Amino acid sequence: MAKELTSKSYIDHHLTNLTCGKTESVGWTCDHNYYDEMGFMAFHVDSITISILLGVAFVALFKLIKLNPADQKPTRMQNFVEMCVEFVNENIKSIFGSTDNKLIGPLALTVLIWVFFMNLMDLIPVDFLPELTKQVSYASGIVDDPNDAYFKFVPTTDPNITLGMALGVFILTIFYSIKIKGFGGFIAELTLHPFGKFAIPFNFALEIMQLLAKPLSLGLRLFGNLYAGEMIFILIALLMFFQSAVFGVLGLGLHLLWALFHILVVSLQAFIFMVLTILYLSMAHETGDH
Amino acid sequence: MNINATLISQALIFAVFVYICYKYIWPPILSTMEERENKMAAGLEAAKQADDSLEEAKLTYEKELKEAKEEAANIVEKANNRSSQILNDAKVKAEAEAEKIIESGSKKLENEANKTREELKQQLSSIVVETASKIIDEEIDEKKHENIIKKAAEEI
Repeated sequence: MAKELTSKSYIDHHLTNLTCGKTESVGWTCDHNYYDEMGFMAFHVDSITISILLGVAFVALFKLIKLNPADQKPTRMQNFVEMCVEFVNENIKSIFGSTDNKLIGPLALTVLIWVFFMNLMDLIPVDFLPELTKQVSYASGIVDDPNDAYFKFVPTTDPNITLGMALGVFILTIFYSIKIKGFGGFIAELTLHPFGKFAIPFNFALEIMQLLAKPLSLGLRLFGNLYAGEMIFILIALLMFFQSAVFGVLGLGLHLLWALFHILVVSLQAFIFMVLTILYLSMAHETGDH
Repeated sequence: MNINATLISQALIFAVFVYICYKYIWPPILSTMEERENKMAAGLEAAKQADDSLEEAKLTYEKELKEAKEEAANIVEKANNRSSQILNDAKVKAEAEAEKIIESGSKKLENEANKTREELKQQLSSIVVETASKIIDEEIDEKKHENIIKKAAEEI
């Protein structure tokens, strides 16, 4: 039987992931009623699926285009792809100076395009995909109540996704720090600054905080911006609860305005994530004193 | 919205996509770009060289054109000189020829006249002798009176 639709249940529904996980009582399940029981062994299937699909879209876009050889006129898509690569390269050059690191370019490009695609999902009207999954899963008998079918389709509004990517960047940062400065150099950097060797515990406390703050802020910044944007779309959509044409038109106008403004946030946050990724990696490559 | 295993999964998926990009996407695009950059640099260089050589060719062409014009003017002048010289020569020659012709003509004429005169003289002398002998009716010794006859003939 269907629950009553209130503004609270509407918002809750929009903010809940389709989660599958392992429980003590029923084993593997995707039933949201067991969400609390899943604990850490839970997967946000919607976020993961959409992010993989968008990653595949990125790979397809950049791999399947026809690359004309250098002595021919480049195709239009080739121009676009090369523009992206050029843009990434310029940013790397301005932050890194020159580097022989072969990974930073592909890493930055992946981050830029993939995050941009994931953010872009925010511009799909808030109810399209959740309603669609509701109806499809109810009609196909997967759930008894359409309101039990959850689907959150903007991966970057899921902190797991953004922090997962930040974790990847963090691991790379540590890897390059140790690779460039040696393990001793890495430890020295953590303990001998800023106050010299007589304050090692204090130095370490400061530096470890600084070290950990980087990936945390990297992931949470993206999450926060996109979550807030999504939230405002949902709140604007709430105007429909007034059941009046005036509010309907008002909601439409606000949606349009916020979507237009959000284009800026979408691309800007993807750009910031990329720049910070490059920046943190370039810091890992720095060998001099701070 | 809890933090859960999704985070680990996403980190792994991230790694996979970065690897795919690193292995299959980035290198061909970058190498195409670099290759084109080199080609363009070479092309620009070649264009610059072509420009330079065009400039040079223009200079050479102008120089040669000027020289050719000068030469042509020289030739025309020479030809003019030569033709006027030839004309002059021909004139001089023709004048000389004409003079010669006139001279020889007048000489011939004189000769003819002299000859005629001589003949006339002789004929006249015989007529005079005949007439005189008829008049005086007496034979006159031609030899005896030759002097008188000659004088008379010369007076005619």
